[in-house]
Amino acid sequence: MSSLSKRHKIELIAVGVIAVFFIVIFPLLNAHGAVSNFTINLWGKYLCYALLAISVDLLWGYTGLLSLGQALFFSLGGYMMGMYLMRMIGDLGQYKKPIPDFLVFLGWTDLPKFWVPFSSFPFASAMVLLVPGLLALVFGFLAFRSRVKGVYFSILTQALTYGASLMFFRNDMLMGGNNGFTDFKFILGYDLRDASTQRGLFIATALVLLVVYVALRLLSHTKFGLVQRAIRDGENRVLFSGYATAHFKLFIFIVAALIAAVAGALYVPQVGIINPSEMTPDKSLEAVVWCAVGGRATLVGPIIGAIGVNSLKSWASRAAPDYWLVILGGLFVIVVLLLPGGIVSIPARLKALWQRFKKKPAEPEPTSSGDSSASIPPASESKPSA
Amino acid sequence: MLKVNQLVTVGALALGSMVASAKAADTVKVGVLHSLSGTMAISETSLRDVLLFTFDEINAKGGVLGKKIEPVVVDGASNWPLFAEKAKQLLEEDKVAVTFGCWTSVSRKSVLPVYEKNNGLLFYPVQYEGQEESQNVFYTAEAVNQQATPAIDYLLEQGYTKFYLIGTDYVYPQTTNLVLLEYLLSKKVPIENIGGGFKKDDSGKIISAGKYTPFGHTDYQQIISEIKQFAAGGKTAIVSTLNGDTNVPFFKEYAAAGLTAEIAPVVSFSISEDEFRGLPAKQLVGQLGCWTYFQSIKSDANKEFVKNFKKWLKETKVPGIVKEGRVTCSPMVLSYNGVYLWKAAVEKAGTFDVDAVRAALKSGLSFDGPGGKVTTQSNMHLTKNVFIGETKADGQFKILKEFKDVYGEPWLLGKFKAQ
Amino acid sequence: MLASDDARKIQLVASLAGESDNAIEPLLKAWREDALYLYEPTEGARVPVLLVGEKDDNDGRAAVRVDTGASLVDADGKSLRLVAADLDAVEHTSALRRAMKGVLDLLDVASPDRKKRLQAIQTIGFSQDAEKLPALQKRLDMENDAAVKRSLREAIAVTRLKDPAANVKLSALKELQELHSLSSYDLIRNAMRDAETVGDKQTAAAAKLALSAIDKHKSTINFFGTLFRGLSLGSILLIVAIGLAITFGLMGVINMAHGEMIAVGAYTTYLVENVFGAGITIPFFGFSLSIPGIHASGVFYQSYFLFALPLSFLAAALVGIGLERSIIRFLYRRPLESLLATWGVSLLLQQGLKLMFGSNNVQVSSPSYLSGNWTVNDIIFGWNRVFVIGFAGLIVFGVWLILTKTPLGLLIRSVMQNRNMASCMGVRTERVNMLTFGLGSGLAGLAGAFISQIGNVGPSLGQNYIVDCFMTVVVGGVGNLAGTIYSAIGIGLVDQSLQQILLNPVLGKILVLVAIILFLQWRPSGLFVTRSRNLDD
Repeated sequence: MSSLSKRHKIELIAVGVIAVFFIVIFPLLNAHGAVSNFTINLWGKYLCYALLAISVDLLWGYTGLLSLGQALFFSLGGYMMGMYLMRMIGDLGQYKKPIPDFLVFLGWTDLPKFWVPFSSFPFASAMVLLVPGLLALVFGFLAFRSRVKGVYFSILTQALTYGASLMFFRNDMLMGGNNGFTDFKFILGYDLRDASTQRGLFIATALVLLVVYVALRLLSHTKFGLVQRAIRDGENRVLFSGYATAHFKLFIFIVAALIAAVAGALYVPQVGIINPSEMTPDKSLEAVVWCAVGGRATLVGPIIGAIGVNSLKSWASRAAPDYWLVILGGLFVIVVLLLPGGIVSIPARLKALWQRFKKKPAEPEPTSSGDSSASIPPASESKPSA
Repeated sequence: MLKVNQLVTVGALALGSMVASAKAADTVKVGVLHSLSGTMAISETSLRDVLLFTFDEINAKGGVLGKKIEPVVVDGASNWPLFAEKAKQLLEEDKVAVTFGCWTSVSRKSVLPVYEKNNGLLFYPVQYEGQEESQNVFYTAEAVNQQATPAIDYLLEQGYTKFYLIGTDYVYPQTTNLVLLEYLLSKKVPIENIGGGFKKDDSGKIISAGKYTPFGHTDYQQIISEIKQFAAGGKTAIVSTLNGDTNVPFFKEYAAAGLTAEIAPVVSFSISEDEFRGLPAKQLVGQLGCWTYFQSIKSDANKEFVKNFKKWLKETKVPGIVKEGRVTCSPMVLSYNGVYLWKAAVEKAGTFDVDAVRAALKSGLSFDGPGGKVTTQSNMHLTKNVFIGETKADGQFKILKEFKDVYGEPWLLGKFKAQ
Repeated sequence: MLASDDARKIQLVASLAGESDNAIEPLLKAWREDALYLYEPTEGARVPVLLVGEKDDNDGRAAVRVDTGASLVDADGKSLRLVAADLDAVEHTSALRRAMKGVLDLLDVASPDRKKRLQAIQTIGFSQDAEKLPALQKRLDMENDAAVKRSLREAIAVTRLKDPAANVKLSALKELQELHSLSSYDLIRNAMRDAETVGDKQTAAAAKLALSAIDKHKSTINFFGTLFRGLSLGSILLIVAIGLAITFGLMGVINMAHGEMIAVGAYTTYLVENVFGAGITIPFFGFSLSIPGIHASGVFYQSYFLFALPLSFLAAALVGIGLERSIIRFLYRRPLESLLATWGVSLLLQQGLKLMFGSNNVQVSSPSYLSGNWTVNDIIFGWNRVFVIGFAGLIVFGVWLILTKTPLGLLIRSVMQNRNMASCMGVRTERVNMLTFGLGSGLAGLAGAFISQIGNVGPSLGQNYIVDCFMTVVVGGVGNLAGTIYSAIGIGLVDQSLQQILLNPVLGKILVLVAIILFLQWRPSGLFVTRSRNLDD
């Protein structure tokens, strides 16, 4: 037990140091020109992705629900924030009209009713949480009530995401169609094109990430967290022990949706565009991959995975535009085959290797490939096929 | 453990990315921002190729203002936020003098704020919907009146009386079809002779005309049978703004239903010679296209351009360039023209400074390109020749008609009034 | 006739209409189809020639002068062999082609070929040219084919709509009402408007009746057309999904690279087509692989598709087996991770195809037996669609045979039901896994061969189908082939019906997805549930 608490101390210190670095030092460096605006903006984007990856991990790594719908909640949050930002453009758009450009183009002269309240930031922020939250509530309630699970749950969320993206692609939806929202100018009166505004957004993202991290870390140590993992490892046993697993799952599903939505709302002002291609099933799958590469069922893993894979993408799409998909694809295959625990399991594996090396002629290690996943058996392992 | 090292390297690179590249004083950095992967790579890769060719051609002749062009090629990966990120990188990190890039409207829209904020200059080469006039974008692209309305003029002249509008559901087809609807009505085509359906708002005003299918749509059976019923009345032309990929299932279904160019020709605004490489050309003989350049133009400038480009393709060592069966097309030539116009503007201004270059561009520069003379306009668009062509079995176009020096007009919605 | 001026050419062609020279027809036809060439024996003297006879070793064919009909001979009196590719085809424009068509149509009214007669009659009818009435009447008297007769009556009636006499108009309208002819809809409407403006109520009423009869006919066509289209869409879904029903349904591998197996099949078809044609060069990571073509033509060339089918199966099966051996066999106990690994593989394969064949779509031309259609009572039955439906049936039958009537099928079923038990009984499960995965992938390749006939062939081809594939299998019930069949046909029918009702393909697709989501609420394990006593299944 004492070693565990020691580990906790180390973790606490590490998290603290990293948090201080990102929340204080990094923006300070930026303010003094040592870190470019481009870099801080890029990292702001990575941190949003990290939040998304954590939401995937909360479902998949901790509860055993592989949802391909997280990109939908992410984009919904983004769209709600985007509506506010669109209203803030005022009459500075291409058409110089007081309503968003795409509405002018669609022949509207007045604002549609559901757009009106989005001029208020508090309302838009509430919607960032409410719309994805409600959707998650309804969808989750239906899905968990009829005990949809495993692959069926993945496919169902995929269908939901796909259907929603088709909806948003339509111009009649009055949400910008294929072009989505772009050309934002102001947020809360600050000019989005100013470096200081972007710095502020970066700090906000880092803070949210810290809060989510700490909250989930605490949650995983409560009884709730234990039940959650028990559901992953053997749902029926939990059910027969008298827990209403559906309620637990629904709660987690909504929490994950909210985290993703907040990530999306922070993402949009930083990248300056939201459109339906962000909510395709592919994007959800990408987030799952970040999670897997980093190491699932850990909280650091998804963060490392999201930042790692995306910086690889940023770098490779510049340095090797023709081969970066090969690099990326190859990486996933290698990680899944040789490193099921993801990047975070590397130290443990190195340690194991080192011990084996030290013991030299000692008996061979009994576990070889599945060792790191043995401690966190994937929920699906119990399903060998029909 | 090699992988760990790789990851560390990658992480370091991403974190740093401030590593100053050895920048020689006698080069000027020029950005190339196209999708080389993802769904749009199919069209945009060719533009990257032709841009690299143009840079080599200019460098061989001494460069611009005595400086060699150093291309910075980045991949937008058909991912719009990534486009914005890459644009930021090009402008803020690489400090490129100018960028050539973008294909889809949404990619242009996503990088536009970045260019306006950093006062950059982007040359945009692909036919688009108009309704935009940024001071930081030079549109070498065809405006709607340099492609769609001339095509309608031609069809009316050929005696077609019924028009079926079909397109992919995004902003370019939607706007084009609305403009065409107004245009057709102004030419006294009765509204019942315009097919594809309309959508009206509460006040009864038409807000969308034509039939729309999503990207990547594969099943055109129902629409073709509707077209067949519509075309049964004779003298019908189909006006298609379908996006590249969906054209194959559309035309295969069209041919299978027994429709041909003689019964009801299709005039497509998104199919150039380059897209034709993926289409069953033999089934498409006689379909119409309308662009500001065709490879089959019989001028010395064009022959020279095609010859040099093919020669360059054979010799180039850039990885990922397909060397076999290549053709040239309008967006490629507009990219090519764009580079030369920029060069002319820089030379006139005597500096790479964006404001000075923009002023020079607005002053009306001309360049004798493969498609004939093009002249820049003060509204950041381009006056150019427009050609109507029909497809041949070898995937080339036979030129039927030429409109000389058409002025590029971006603001067309509401311009044509029905009498 | 080779005059340079377009307008003059059109006039000349039109003047041919009255001539009864047998040479006119083949000549104009050849011209339209780019088979009329210009031969320059000496500089400046251009002779129009047709190429006839079989190709010789050098691709040369004998040439016939068009103006004299004589064969071309060289100085020694031997017949000259010319190569089509070396010659310029005589040019033509759409206006010219229409003029040619006008001439050909009048000739075709008397053509022995029934199809040609039909087309010609229709075109003439549309022109509403009273001068052509006698020719049509004459033909009607001697015609004994029912369909052609119908078409003749239609053409005559349509032409008579223009007749100034009211009673002629009325009888024409009545005729059209009986024929419920789709093509005359616009003309009848015009006639109705004309009658309304001059206040001819009787004609207007008759026209209205005729229009409503045609509208009714239209809805019948649309109903049966929708059924057929739904069936054909369902068959396509079935063909692309049946491979997945085996790899995913039976083996439990979530193969995200299934779409790329389809692409492999489609590209194989493309390769085979090129081998039958002019050959192809593929750049392969710095190397260049040249495959010579066999320059087939005619029926033999058209038969490339039949050769492509088994080869597509084999190619995709080999890729599948390679994938199974190298990656998937390590992941049988971790199905959700197979999803990630195969997604990586799918990226790799896509990029590989892109590097080999370029990022553009490639061109696969359909053989003629797959690009026509039957039109029965105005309902279109495309041959490719009929073929797909038939083929889907064959594939299902074949898979059923393999799974139930062969020793391999027995082994597959035993391994899929209980891998450990089968292994204990001495079944070489590794091998069975490999073969099963190969079978599933091969079926995807076969699907690719078909997709190449109805859709585009490009590196990201598979992405268009992968979501649909999973939906189909899941709705049918994982592990149940019959379920996949029902769900594919069901989704196809629902999709097409919604498209027909809403006249909006996007909205139709969204509603199908909503329907699938609701359906899975009702039956969480799909249409057919594989019963098991295992609680965790």
